[in-house]
Amino acid sequence: MDRHFDEELLHVRRKIVDMAALVEESIAKSLAALKKRNAEMASEICGIDRRIDELEIAIEDMCIELIARHQPVGSDLRFLIGTIKMNNDLERMGDHAVNIAETVQYVKESQDIGQIMNIWAMAEIVIEMLRESVESFIHNDAARAQRVCERDSIVDGMRNETIRILLTHMLEEPEKIGSAIQYMLVAKNLERIADLSTNICEDVIYIAQARVIKHHAEEKKG
Amino acid sequence: MIIRTANLNLYYHKFQALQNVNVNIQRNIITGIIGSSGCGKSTLLRVFNRMNDLIEGVGITGSVLIDGEDIYSPMHDLIQLRKRVGMVFQRPNAFPLSIFDNIAYGPRVWSISDKKTLSEIVERSLSAVDLFADLQDKLDSPALGLSAEKQQRLCIARLLAVEPEILLMDEPCSALDPIATGKIEELMIELKKKYTIIIVTHNMQQAARIADEVGFMLLGELVEFGTAKMIFTNPRDRRTFDYISGRFG
Repeated sequence: MDRHFDEELLHVRRKIVDMAALVEESIAKSLAALKKRNAEMASEICGIDRRIDELEIAIEDMCIELIARHQPVGSDLRFLIGTIKMNNDLERMGDHAVNIAETVQYVKESQDIGQIMNIWAMAEIVIEMLRESVESFIHNDAARAQRVCERDSIVDGMRNETIRILLTHMLEEPEKIGSAIQYMLVAKNLERIADLSTNICEDVIYIAQARVIKHHAEEKKG
Repeated sequence: MIIRTANLNLYYHKFQALQNVNVNIQRNIITGIIGSSGCGKSTLLRVFNRMNDLIEGVGITGSVLIDGEDIYSPMHDLIQLRKRVGMVFQRPNAFPLSIFDNIAYGPRVWSISDKKTLSEIVERSLSAVDLFADLQDKLDSPALGLSAEKQQRLCIARLLAVEPEILLMDEPCSALDPIATGKIEELMIELKKKYTIIIVTHNMQQAARIADEVGFMLLGELVEFGTAKMIFTNPRDRRTFDYISGRFG
Protein backbone atom coordinates (compact mmCIF):
# COMPACT_ATOMS: atom_id res chain seq x y z
CA MET A 1 0.00 0.00 0.00
CA ASP A 2 1.37 3.45 -0.89
CA ARG A 3 1.65 6.07 1.78
CA HIS A 4 -1.21 8.49 1.34
CA PHE A 5 1.09 11.38 2.20
CA ASP A 6 3.44 10.40 -0.64
CA GLU A 7 0.55 10.64 -3.06
CA GLU A 8 -0.24 14.12 -1.79
CA LEU A 9 3.40 15.16 -2.21
CA LEU A 10 3.31 13.79 -5.75
CA HIS A 11 0.19 15.85 -6.43
CA VAL A 12 2.00 19.01 -5.29
CA ARG A 13 4.98 18.10 -7.47
CA ARG A 14 2.71 17.69 -10.52
CA LYS A 15 1.02 21.02 -9.85
CA ILE A 16 4.30 22.92 -9.64
CA VAL A 17 5.50 21.30 -12.87
CA ASP A 18 2.22 22.39 -14.53
CA MET A 19 2.85 25.90 -13.26
CA ALA A 20 6.41 25.89 -14.59
CA ALA A 21 5.10 24.84 -18.03
CA LEU A 22 2.65 27.77 -17.98
CA VAL A 23 5.42 30.19 -16.98
CA GLU A 24 7.65 28.94 -19.77
CA GLU A 25 4.77 29.33 -22.24
CA SER A 26 4.15 32.87 -21.00
CA ILE A 27 7.80 33.92 -21.35
CA ALA A 28 8.20 32.32 -24.79
CA LYS A 29 4.98 33.90 -26.03
CA SER A 30 5.84 37.37 -24.74
CA LEU A 31 9.22 37.18 -26.51
CA ALA A 32 7.63 35.91 -29.72
CA ALA A 33 5.15 38.81 -29.58
CA LEU A 34 8.04 41.23 -29.13
CA LYS A 35 9.97 39.74 -32.02
CA LYS A 36 6.93 40.02 -34.30
CA ARG A 37 5.87 43.38 -32.76
CA ASN A 38 2.45 41.73 -32.38
CA ALA A 39 0.38 43.49 -29.68
CA GLU A 40 -2.55 41.09 -30.02
CA MET A 41 -0.32 38.15 -29.22
CA ALA A 42 1.15 40.10 -26.29
CA SER A 43 -2.32 40.70 -24.87
CA GLU A 44 -2.76 36.93 -24.38
CA ILE A 45 -0.07 36.98 -21.69
CA CYS A 46 -2.40 38.53 -19.10
CA GLY A 47 -4.76 35.55 -19.39
CA ILE A 48 -1.90 33.09 -18.85
CA ASP A 49 -0.71 35.16 -15.89
CA ARG A 50 -4.10 34.92 -14.22
CA ARG A 51 -3.88 31.12 -14.43
CA ILE A 52 -0.35 31.28 -12.99
CA ASP A 53 -1.59 33.43 -10.09
CA GLU A 54 -4.42 30.98 -9.36
CA LEU A 55 -2.00 28.07 -9.35
CA GLU A 56 0.36 29.94 -7.04
CA ILE A 57 -2.41 30.36 -4.46
CA ALA A 58 -3.55 26.73 -4.83
CA ILE A 59 -0.03 25.31 -4.46
CA GLU A 60 0.78 27.48 -1.44
CA ASP A 61 -2.49 26.40 0.14
CA MET A 62 -1.71 22.70 -0.46
CA CYS A 63 1.78 23.06 1.02
CA ILE A 64 0.52 24.85 4.14
CA GLU A 65 -2.15 22.21 4.66
CA LEU A 66 0.36 19.36 4.26
CA ILE A 67 2.78 20.98 6.72
CA ALA A 68 -0.01 21.57 9.25
CA ARG A 69 -1.50 18.09 8.94
CA HIS A 70 1.52 15.86 8.43
CA GLN A 71 4.28 17.73 10.26
CA PRO A 72 6.83 16.56 7.69
CA VAL A 73 10.49 16.12 8.53
CA GLY A 74 13.72 15.60 6.59
CA SER A 75 13.47 15.56 2.80
CA ASP A 76 9.66 15.85 2.92
CA LEU A 77 9.93 19.08 4.90
CA ARG A 78 12.69 20.41 2.62
CA PHE A 79 10.56 19.52 -0.42
CA LEU A 80 7.55 21.48 0.87
CA ILE A 81 9.57 24.51 1.99
CA GLY A 82 11.52 24.45 -1.31
CA THR A 83 8.27 24.17 -3.25
CA ILE A 84 6.76 27.18 -1.50
CA LYS A 85 9.84 29.22 -2.49
CA MET A 86 9.88 27.86 -6.05
CA ASN A 87 6.16 28.63 -6.35
CA ASN A 88 6.87 32.24 -5.43
CA ASP A 89 9.79 32.43 -7.89
CA LEU A 90 7.71 31.03 -10.74
CA GLU A 91 4.95 33.51 -10.07
CA ARG A 92 7.47 36.36 -10.21
CA MET A 93 8.74 35.01 -13.54
CA GLY A 94 5.17 35.17 -14.82
CA ASP A 95 5.11 38.86 -13.83
CA HIS A 96 8.33 39.44 -15.78
CA ALA A 97 6.69 37.86 -18.84
CA VAL A 98 3.84 40.36 -18.41
CA ASN A 99 6.41 43.19 -18.20
CA ILE A 100 7.98 42.01 -21.46
CA ALA A 101 4.54 41.77 -23.11
CA GLU A 102 3.79 45.34 -22.01
CA THR A 103 6.79 46.63 -23.94
CA VAL A 104 5.37 45.30 -27.24
CA GLN A 105 2.83 48.09 -27.70
CA TYR A 106 5.51 50.77 -27.03
CA VAL A 107 7.98 49.11 -29.39
CA LYS A 108 5.29 48.89 -32.04
CA GLU A 109 4.50 52.60 -31.74
CA SER A 110 8.16 53.69 -31.61
CA GLN A 111 10.60 53.91 -34.45
CA ASP A 112 11.94 50.47 -35.34
CA ILE A 113 15.40 49.93 -33.90
CA GLY A 114 15.93 46.74 -35.90
CA GLN A 115 16.82 43.38 -34.42
CA ILE A 116 18.89 43.52 -31.24
CA MET A 117 20.47 40.11 -31.67
CA ASN A 118 21.84 40.02 -28.15
CA ILE A 119 18.30 40.07 -26.71
CA TRP A 120 17.33 36.93 -28.61
CA ALA A 121 20.54 35.13 -27.71
CA MET A 122 19.93 36.10 -24.09
CA ALA A 123 16.31 34.94 -24.29
CA GLU A 124 17.39 31.57 -25.58
CA ILE A 125 19.74 31.03 -22.64
CA VAL A 126 17.18 32.29 -20.11
CA ILE A 127 14.47 29.93 -21.35
CA GLU A 128 16.96 27.07 -21.35
CA MET A 129 17.91 27.96 -17.75
CA LEU A 130 14.26 27.89 -16.70
CA ARG A 131 13.70 24.56 -18.47
CA GLU A 132 16.81 23.04 -16.87
CA SER A 133 15.92 24.33 -13.42
CA VAL A 134 12.51 22.65 -13.67
CA GLU A 135 14.08 19.44 -15.02
CA SER A 136 16.55 19.40 -12.13
CA PHE A 137 13.57 19.79 -9.76
CA ILE A 138 11.65 16.96 -11.46
CA HIS A 139 14.65 14.61 -11.28
CA ASN A 140 15.88 15.89 -7.90
CA ASP A 141 19.24 16.39 -9.62
CA ALA A 142 21.55 18.71 -7.65
CA ALA A 143 24.41 18.45 -10.17
CA ARG A 144 22.15 19.60 -12.99
CA ALA A 145 20.88 22.46 -10.80
CA GLN A 146 24.45 23.49 -10.02
CA ARG A 147 25.24 23.79 -13.75
CA VAL A 148 22.27 26.15 -14.20
CA CYS A 149 23.52 28.40 -11.39
CA GLU A 150 26.87 28.67 -13.14
CA ARG A 151 25.19 30.12 -16.24
CA ASP A 152 23.75 33.10 -14.34
CA SER A 153 26.91 35.16 -14.77
CA ILE A 154 26.77 34.60 -18.55
CA VAL A 155 23.32 36.19 -18.61
CA ASP A 156 24.53 39.09 -16.42
CA GLY A 157 27.32 39.69 -18.94
CA MET A 158 24.91 39.58 -21.85
CA ARG A 159 22.63 42.08 -20.16
CA ASN A 160 25.55 44.51 -19.73
CA GLU A 161 26.54 43.96 -23.34
CA THR A 162 22.94 44.57 -24.49
CA ILE A 163 22.74 47.80 -22.53
CA ARG A 164 26.02 48.95 -24.05
CA ILE A 165 24.71 48.23 -27.57
CA LEU A 166 21.44 50.01 -26.84
CA LEU A 167 23.24 53.04 -25.42
CA THR A 168 25.22 53.27 -28.63
CA HIS A 169 21.94 53.24 -30.61
CA MET A 170 20.56 55.97 -28.36
CA LEU A 171 23.59 58.19 -28.89
CA GLU A 172 23.75 57.66 -32.62
CA GLU A 173 20.01 57.67 -33.38
CA PRO A 174 18.16 59.71 -30.72
CA GLU A 175 14.83 59.15 -32.54
CA LYS A 176 15.10 55.49 -31.52
CA ILE A 177 15.54 56.18 -27.78
CA GLY A 178 11.92 55.08 -27.12
CA SER A 179 12.51 51.63 -28.59
CA ALA A 180 15.93 51.33 -26.99
CA ILE A 181 14.54 51.99 -23.52
CA GLN A 182 11.94 49.25 -24.03
CA TYR A 183 14.62 46.77 -25.06
CA MET A 184 16.64 47.75 -21.98
CA LEU A 185 13.60 46.85 -19.87
CA VAL A 186 13.32 43.54 -21.70
CA ALA A 187 17.02 42.81 -20.99
CA LYS A 188 16.46 43.66 -17.32
CA ASN A 189 13.41 41.37 -17.13
CA LEU A 190 15.27 38.52 -18.81
CA GLU A 191 18.15 38.93 -16.39
CA ARG A 192 15.70 38.74 -13.46
CA ILE A 193 14.14 35.57 -14.89
CA ALA A 194 17.63 34.03 -14.99
CA ASP A 195 18.14 35.08 -11.34
CA LEU A 196 14.88 33.41 -10.38
CA SER A 197 15.86 30.21 -12.26
CA THR A 198 19.05 30.30 -10.21
CA ASN A 199 16.96 30.64 -7.04
CA ILE A 200 14.96 27.57 -8.07
CA CYS A 201 18.18 25.63 -8.58
CA GLU A 202 19.41 26.68 -5.16
CA ASP A 203 16.15 25.32 -3.77
CA VAL A 204 16.62 22.07 -5.72
CA ILE A 205 20.08 21.65 -4.18
CA TYR A 206 18.59 22.32 -0.75
CA ILE A 207 15.81 19.80 -1.33
CA ALA A 208 18.11 17.11 -2.74
CA GLN A 209 21.13 17.51 -0.49
CA ALA A 210 20.14 19.82 2.39
CA ARG A 211 22.93 22.19 1.27
CA VAL A 212 22.45 25.96 1.32
CA ILE A 213 24.52 27.48 -1.50
CA LYS A 214 22.86 30.89 -1.78
CA HIS A 215 24.80 33.99 -0.74
CA HIS A 216 27.96 31.83 -0.81
CA ALA A 217 26.82 30.35 2.53
CA GLU A 218 29.03 27.27 2.22
CA GLU A 219 32.18 29.28 1.45
CA LYS A 220 31.55 31.54 4.45
CA LYS A 221 31.15 28.49 6.66
CA GLY A 222 34.48 27.20 5.37
CA MET B 1 -25.04 13.02 5.67
CA ILE B 2 -25.33 9.74 7.52
CA ILE B 3 -25.39 10.65 11.24
CA ARG B 4 -26.98 13.68 12.86
CA THR B 5 -27.27 14.45 16.54
CA ALA B 6 -29.50 17.18 17.90
CA ASN B 7 -29.17 18.64 21.41
CA LEU B 8 -27.60 15.42 22.61
CA ASN B 9 -26.93 15.19 26.35
CA LEU B 10 -25.65 12.12 28.12
CA TYR B 11 -25.46 11.51 31.86
CA TYR B 12 -23.72 8.87 33.93
CA HIS B 13 -26.02 9.12 36.95
CA LYS B 14 -25.68 12.82 37.83
CA PHE B 15 -22.49 13.45 35.90
CA GLN B 16 -23.11 15.08 32.52
CA ALA B 17 -20.62 13.53 30.05
CA LEU B 18 -22.01 15.10 26.85
CA GLN B 19 -23.40 18.60 26.70
CA ASN B 20 -25.77 19.61 23.96
CA VAL B 21 -23.83 18.00 21.13
CA ASN B 22 -24.99 18.88 17.63
CA VAL B 23 -23.02 17.21 14.89
CA ASN B 24 -23.52 16.13 11.29
CA ILE B 25 -21.30 13.31 10.09
CA GLN B 26 -20.88 12.83 6.36
CA ARG B 27 -20.86 9.55 4.47
CA ASN B 28 -17.63 7.97 3.16
CA ILE B 29 -15.21 10.23 4.93
CA ILE B 30 -13.09 9.85 8.05
CA THR B 31 -14.35 11.96 10.92
CA GLY B 32 -11.87 12.37 13.76
CA ILE B 33 -12.89 13.23 17.32
CA ILE B 34 -10.05 14.73 19.34
CA GLY B 35 -9.74 16.03 22.87
CA SER B 36 -7.98 15.28 26.12
CA SER B 37 -8.77 12.28 28.33
CA GLY B 38 -12.22 12.36 29.88
CA CYS B 39 -13.59 14.95 27.46
CA GLY B 40 -16.39 12.64 26.30
CA LYS B 41 -15.06 11.60 22.90
CA SER B 42 -15.34 7.83 23.51
CA THR B 43 -18.75 8.38 25.08
CA LEU B 44 -19.89 10.20 21.94
CA LEU B 45 -18.55 7.37 19.76
CA ARG B 46 -20.40 4.77 21.78
CA VAL B 47 -23.62 6.73 21.36
CA PHE B 48 -23.63 5.81 17.66
CA ASN B 49 -24.05 2.08 18.23
CA ARG B 50 -25.67 2.35 21.66
CA MET B 51 -22.77 0.74 23.45
CA ASN B 52 -23.42 3.11 26.36
CA ASP B 53 -26.68 1.20 26.97
CA LEU B 54 -24.53 -1.48 28.59
CA ILE B 55 -23.36 0.97 31.27
CA GLU B 56 -25.51 1.28 34.36
CA GLY B 57 -27.08 4.63 35.12
CA VAL B 58 -26.77 6.11 31.64
CA GLY B 59 -29.38 8.63 30.60
CA ILE B 60 -29.72 10.33 27.22
CA THR B 61 -31.74 13.29 25.99
CA GLY B 62 -31.86 14.70 22.47
CA SER B 63 -31.80 12.68 19.30
CA VAL B 64 -29.37 10.61 17.24
CA LEU B 65 -30.43 9.95 13.67
CA ILE B 66 -28.74 7.58 11.25
CA ASP B 67 -30.04 8.09 7.74
CA GLY B 68 -32.97 9.90 9.29
CA GLU B 69 -33.91 7.08 11.70
CA ASP B 70 -33.84 7.74 15.43
CA ILE B 71 -31.63 4.96 16.79
CA TYR B 72 -32.85 5.58 20.34
CA SER B 73 -36.47 5.04 19.38
CA PRO B 74 -37.94 2.02 21.25
CA MET B 75 -38.88 0.59 17.85
CA HIS B 76 -35.30 0.59 16.62
CA ASP B 77 -33.74 -2.87 16.09
CA LEU B 78 -30.61 -2.90 18.25
CA ILE B 79 -29.17 -6.03 16.64
CA GLN B 80 -29.46 -4.50 13.18
CA LEU B 81 -27.88 -1.30 14.49
CA ARG B 82 -24.82 -3.15 15.83
CA LYS B 83 -24.47 -4.95 12.48
CA ARG B 84 -24.71 -1.69 10.60
CA VAL B 85 -22.41 0.22 12.95
CA GLY B 86 -19.33 -1.82 13.83
CA MET B 87 -16.69 -0.96 16.37
CA VAL B 88 -12.92 -1.40 16.67
CA PHE B 89 -11.37 -1.06 20.12
CA GLN B 90 -8.05 0.16 21.53
CA ARG B 91 -6.62 -3.31 21.91
CA PRO B 92 -7.12 -5.92 19.26
CA ASN B 93 -9.69 -8.36 20.62
CA ALA B 94 -9.33 -11.37 18.37
CA PHE B 95 -11.27 -14.40 19.61
CA PRO B 96 -9.28 -17.44 20.75
CA LEU B 97 -10.28 -19.19 17.52
CA SER B 98 -8.68 -19.77 14.15
CA ILE B 99 -8.25 -16.88 11.73
CA PHE B 100 -11.04 -18.32 9.57
CA ASP B 101 -13.43 -18.72 12.48
CA ASN B 102 -12.80 -15.19 13.70
CA ILE B 103 -13.93 -13.76 10.36
CA ALA B 104 -16.75 -16.26 9.92
CA TYR B 105 -18.08 -15.63 13.43
CA GLY B 106 -20.38 -12.72 12.51
CA PRO B 107 -21.78 -14.26 9.33
CA ARG B 108 -22.50 -17.49 11.27
CA VAL B 109 -24.43 -15.45 13.86
CA TRP B 110 -26.41 -14.16 10.88
CA SER B 111 -27.15 -17.80 9.93
CA ILE B 112 -24.73 -18.20 7.06
CA SER B 113 -23.44 -21.75 7.28
CA ASP B 114 -22.59 -22.66 3.71
CA LYS B 115 -18.84 -23.36 3.66
CA LYS B 116 -18.32 -21.92 0.18
CA THR B 117 -20.13 -18.67 1.05
CA LEU B 118 -18.20 -18.37 4.31
CA SER B 119 -14.90 -18.93 2.46
CA GLU B 120 -15.79 -16.17 0.01
CA ILE B 121 -16.64 -13.82 2.88
CA VAL B 122 -13.36 -14.65 4.66
CA GLU B 123 -11.35 -14.05 1.48
CA ARG B 124 -13.16 -10.80 0.68
CA SER B 125 -12.86 -9.47 4.24
CA LEU B 126 -9.18 -10.36 4.64
CA SER B 127 -8.41 -8.92 1.19
CA ALA B 128 -10.07 -5.63 2.17
CA VAL B 129 -7.59 -5.25 5.02
CA ASP B 130 -4.68 -6.45 2.87
CA LEU B 131 -4.16 -9.66 4.87
CA PHE B 132 -5.37 -12.38 2.54
CA ALA B 133 -2.15 -12.79 0.55
CA ASP B 134 -0.24 -13.22 3.82
CA LEU B 135 -2.69 -15.51 5.60
CA GLN B 136 -4.40 -17.57 2.90
CA ASP B 137 -2.32 -20.62 3.81
CA LYS B 138 -2.72 -20.11 7.55
CA LEU B 139 -6.47 -19.70 7.90
CA ASP B 140 -6.65 -22.55 10.40
CA SER B 141 -3.92 -21.05 12.61
CA PRO B 142 -4.90 -19.38 15.89
CA ALA B 143 -5.64 -15.68 15.45
CA LEU B 144 -3.94 -14.89 18.75
CA GLY B 145 -0.61 -15.95 17.22
CA LEU B 146 -0.62 -12.92 14.89
CA SER B 147 1.23 -9.66 15.60
CA ALA B 148 -0.76 -6.89 17.30
CA GLU B 149 -1.07 -4.97 14.02
CA LYS B 150 -2.31 -8.03 12.13
CA GLN B 151 -4.73 -8.83 14.96
CA GLN B 152 -6.11 -5.30 14.69
CA ARG B 153 -6.47 -5.73 10.92
CA LEU B 154 -8.17 -9.06 11.57
CA CYS B 155 -10.62 -7.36 13.93
CA ILE B 156 -11.42 -4.82 11.22
CA ALA B 157 -11.88 -7.68 8.72
CA ARG B 158 -14.20 -9.39 11.21
CA LEU B 159 -16.36 -6.25 11.19
CA LEU B 160 -16.37 -6.04 7.41
CA ALA B 161 -17.59 -9.64 7.18
CA VAL B 162 -21.06 -8.57 8.35
CA GLU B 163 -21.11 -5.71 5.83
CA PRO B 164 -21.50 -2.68 8.09
CA GLU B 165 -21.89 0.88 6.79
CA ILE B 166 -20.22 2.73 9.62
CA LEU B 167 -16.98 1.84 11.39
CA LEU B 168 -16.39 3.30 14.84
CA MET B 169 -12.77 3.22 15.91
CA ASP B 170 -11.84 3.96 19.49
CA GLU B 171 -8.09 4.66 19.63
CA PRO B 172 -7.45 1.77 17.21
CA CYS B 173 -3.70 2.36 17.10
CA SER B 174 -2.95 3.09 20.74
CA ALA B 175 -1.52 -0.40 21.30
CA LEU B 176 0.53 -0.36 18.09
CA ASP B 177 4.04 0.82 17.22
CA PRO B 178 4.52 3.67 14.68
CA ILE B 179 5.01 1.36 11.68
CA ALA B 180 1.91 -0.68 12.49
CA THR B 181 0.03 2.59 13.14
CA GLY B 182 1.01 3.84 9.68
CA LYS B 183 -0.33 0.67 8.09
CA ILE B 184 -3.66 0.91 9.92
CA GLU B 185 -3.95 4.57 8.93
CA GLU B 186 -3.38 3.70 5.27
CA LEU B 187 -6.00 0.98 5.62
CA MET B 188 -8.51 3.48 7.00
CA ILE B 189 -7.92 5.78 4.03
CA GLU B 190 -8.62 2.84 1.70
CA LEU B 191 -11.71 1.77 3.66
CA LYS B 192 -13.39 5.17 3.59
CA LYS B 193 -14.12 4.64 -0.10
CA LYS B 194 -16.73 2.08 0.98
CA TYR B 195 -17.43 2.88 4.64
CA THR B 196 -18.07 5.87 6.87
CA ILE B 197 -15.39 5.98 9.56
CA ILE B 198 -15.45 7.80 12.87
CA ILE B 199 -12.24 7.63 14.85
CA VAL B 200 -11.60 8.77 18.38
CA THR B 201 -7.99 9.55 19.09
CA HIS B 202 -5.96 11.54 21.53
CA ASN B 203 -3.14 11.36 19.01
CA MET B 204 -3.89 14.69 17.40
CA GLN B 205 -1.33 14.12 14.64
CA GLN B 206 -3.20 11.00 13.64
CA ALA B 207 -6.42 12.97 13.22
CA ALA B 208 -4.51 15.61 11.25
CA ARG B 209 -3.03 12.97 8.95
CA ILE B 210 -6.09 10.94 8.11
CA ALA B 211 -9.33 12.71 9.04
CA ASP B 212 -11.35 14.69 6.54
CA GLU B 213 -13.44 16.36 9.23
CA VAL B 214 -12.50 16.84 12.86
CA GLY B 215 -14.40 17.64 16.03
CA PHE B 216 -12.65 18.98 19.12
CA MET B 217 -14.27 18.12 22.46
CA LEU B 218 -13.68 19.64 25.85
CA LEU B 219 -15.50 18.75 29.09
CA GLY B 220 -18.33 17.06 27.22
CA GLU B 221 -18.83 19.92 24.80
CA LEU B 222 -18.18 19.73 21.07
CA VAL B 223 -16.24 22.99 20.93
CA GLU B 224 -15.57 23.04 17.21
CA PHE B 225 -16.28 20.87 14.20
CA GLY B 226 -14.99 21.40 10.66
CA THR B 227 -12.69 20.21 7.93
CA ALA B 228 -9.30 18.96 9.09
CA LYS B 229 -7.75 21.70 6.99
CA MET B 230 -9.72 24.36 8.84
CA ILE B 231 -9.16 22.89 12.31
CA PHE B 232 -5.39 22.55 11.81
CA THR B 233 -4.68 25.76 9.88
CA ASN B 234 -7.33 28.19 11.07
CA PRO B 235 -9.38 27.02 14.08
CA ARG B 236 -12.15 29.43 14.97
CA ASP B 237 -12.17 28.80 18.73
CA ARG B 238 -9.26 29.80 20.94
CA ARG B 239 -9.65 26.59 22.98
CA THR B 240 -9.18 24.48 19.85
CA PHE B 241 -6.05 26.41 18.96
CA ASP B 242 -4.69 26.02 22.49
CA TYR B 243 -5.26 22.26 22.34
CA ILE B 244 -3.82 21.60 18.87
CA SER B 245 -0.82 23.81 19.58
CA GLY B 246 -0.09 21.86 22.77
CA ARG B 247 -0.82 24.75 25.12
CA PHE B 248 -3.07 22.50 27.15
CA GLY B 249 -4.32 18.95 27.13
